[in-house]
Amino acid sequence: MDDFEIELKMGFLEEAAQGITDTEQCFLSLENDPSNPDTLNKIFRLAHNLKGSSKAVGFDQMGAFTHELETFILKIKNGELPASRNVISTLLACTDFVTQMISGLKENLQAQFDIQPFLDQIEKASIPETESAPNQSEEPEISTPPEEVSAEPAVDQLSSPEAVLATAEIQTELQSHQEPKPIMEIHENVVPLESKKESEKQAPLKATEAVGIKATNANPAKDDSIRVSVSRVENLLNFIGELVILQSVVKEQAMKTQSLEIKKTLHQMEKVTKEVQDVAMSLRMVPVKMTFQKMQRIVRDTALAVQKEVNLKIIGEETEVDKTVLEKINDPLVHLIRNSVDHGIETPETRKANGKNEKGNVTLAAYHKSGKLFIEVKDDGAGLDSEKLIRKAIDKKIIKPDTKLTEEQAYQLIFAPGFSTKEVVTDVSGRGVGMDVVKTNITDLQGEVLIHSKKGEGTTFQVILPLTLAIIEGMTVTYGEDRYVFPFNHVHETLRPSKTDIQENTSLGQTLMLRGDNMPIYKLGDFFGKKSSHKMDEMIALVIRTGPMPFAIWVDDILGQSQVVVKQLGSELNGFKGVSGCTILGDGKPALILEPTDLVKRKLTRSAA
Amino acid sequence: MSDNVKYLCFSLGVEEFAIPLLSVREVLGLPEVTPVPQTPTHFLGIMNLRGRVISVMDLRTKLAIKPAVNTETAVIILDSGGFNVGMVVDQVNSVQEILPEELAPKPTLESGKANEYVVGVYKKEDHLILMLDIARALSLEDKNLINNQKTVA
Repeated sequence: MDDFEIELKMGFLEEAAQGITDTEQCFLSLENDPSNPDTLNKIFRLAHNLKGSSKAVGFDQMGAFTHELETFILKIKNGELPASRNVISTLLACTDFVTQMISGLKENLQAQFDIQPFLDQIEKASIPETESAPNQSEEPEISTPPEEVSAEPAVDQLSSPEAVLATAEIQTELQSHQEPKPIMEIHENVVPLESKKESEKQAPLKATEAVGIKATNANPAKDDSIRVSVSRVENLLNFIGELVILQSVVKEQAMKTQSLEIKKTLHQMEKVTKEVQDVAMSLRMVPVKMTFQKMQRIVRDTALAVQKEVNLKIIGEETEVDKTVLEKINDPLVHLIRNSVDHGIETPETRKANGKNEKGNVTLAAYHKSGKLFIEVKDDGAGLDSEKLIRKAIDKKIIKPDTKLTEEQAYQLIFAPGFSTKEVVTDVSGRGVGMDVVKTNITDLQGEVLIHSKKGEGTTFQVILPLTLAIIEGMTVTYGEDRYVFPFNHVHETLRPSKTDIQENTSLGQTLMLRGDNMPIYKLGDFFGKKSSHKMDEMIALVIRTGPMPFAIWVDDILGQSQVVVKQLGSELNGFKGVSGCTILGDGKPALILEPTDLVKRKLTRSAA
Repeated sequence: MSDNVKYLCFSLGVEEFAIPLLSVREVLGLPEVTPVPQTPTHFLGIMNLRGRVISVMDLRTKLAIKPAVNTETAVIILDSGGFNVGMVVDQVNSVQEILPEELAPKPTLESGKANEYVVGVYKKEDHLILMLDIARALSLEDKNLINNQKTVA
């Protein structure tokens, strides 16, 4: 296989992955609105594209499978099959399988798959249920306006082979499945065989209709974006960062000249650079839409598994966030959503008994507020029972029996590892892992989770996240000859303690007494084995309160506070505890970004060893 | 003449070494380097390469070769399997074409520290150029240089 072919195939797989996600979304919306012709057309178009291009790049198995899938979808589109829950489940299973194929092929372009079980499943589902959904009758069966007929000969050539093939198959399938049954017994909305043949004549037309739309590009909004790899965006950002540094050098040099013109031009240039930097930064931002829409599926499957009726409402799916952040919130969101459906929403009977609508509601909302991303997962279920939580936590020995907790603290118990209010471990939940994952992942992202709950009215999980991990507000400090950056959100306050605030104590080490609080204070250099020539009374203490225990760190001086671009250290420096990355300071020299709580953790484990 | 037989020759102290030119991304003067605590002595620190942060190692310390006095110091930026690392040498000398048949196997020596990194020798006029397996010389395979457990004074 030559490079070109590989590139072609990889390109297709990228596209297919996108296509299949779209298809899944359509299936889900089809379930809610089974007769929407737009959705049906879109599905058919997507399936058709998938089939066509998978065959074109030489993935024959995928081509064969998607061909069957297309045939199946065509039946739904033509109203031969009702879009029942069963059918949708089959379709979703098929999209899962195609997703599997795609990721399998991405790893190994020669990968082979066993498509037969799914073909059987499709075939099984292709048999129209006689007690088909009532809304099926609303389906516009054969309503082709005459002007579309005129388009037939031209477009027919484009798609006729497969369309004819599809038609032929429908015919055979129809015969095999329907022949045993007397025509009249079939439910009225299933079109009798005679008129079915009529509608089959329309089938190629509908297929060509889709092709026609594609060819004339009647849907221009669809493709106004391009895919760019993250590394290219990062490269761009790196160069812009360098440009900014060079610019400040030029600015210094320009100060020495008398030329007003140069200064003026430079000033304009600064503005432009700033704009360019902002634009480049925004390239990393993507809407939460993709991730949010995946949750439709999670809600559906979870609700089915626990036999509840749950409706998911999505708000603010256009809200943008850094791609890396978005990738990392997928898992926590899945857990939160499942938690809401499984634990939050009551069973339909309980809901009815409590005078609520049998169908539960879960709302997934995203919005920006004061430079942060807020994501809310809200259910209108039973709410959290803090007493029950505390009892359970005592049972599981997570807290001591006599612990006094506020409501909020009790709610936070559900994030404890191993904690679950469920008595029985099911497929969906009960192991007490999920919420622990939520907390850990969100904390890793420098975010937090708040819980609001009202008994009988529901629970809201509020996830607060930084918009990007690429830029942080940093405080640059010096110690000895080196400069370090502390993430600003970790520094609670800075002060220059007087001699009386500091207690030297052999067993506890240095202790800072601050407004009645006693906390350990460490020299920054002690973590690294560095020395500073500064005397204690010239130094500044940073108070850190983000960890489990407050503590303070001595630094020589604070140089300033600024936004810094976070860069990863090379893989040879992986596992450097206490250092989360590095950045390039205004003068072009790199500096390490410190994670104060990890620094102390490391120190503690070391002194314990 | 294909690129495959081109080698970059450089000096460490008074000795001359060569690495395949294809593994070299660029050569530059030694910029300011920010030291990183708790790294081996041959790890000089991190530097800014046009907006990217890359690690810099001192090949002289690593191979236990005494640095030359009064020579300019250069950094060779290596491109090794997708990741970049800087390598400090005393002086970059030339690009040399060396055909495979001109290479001699390294003489059997008693084990020296630099010995295992040498994959062959090339005789240039009056002196020998040692061919380095650079990935091995910098121990790039054991990528994790941080010793979290090491107690520092």
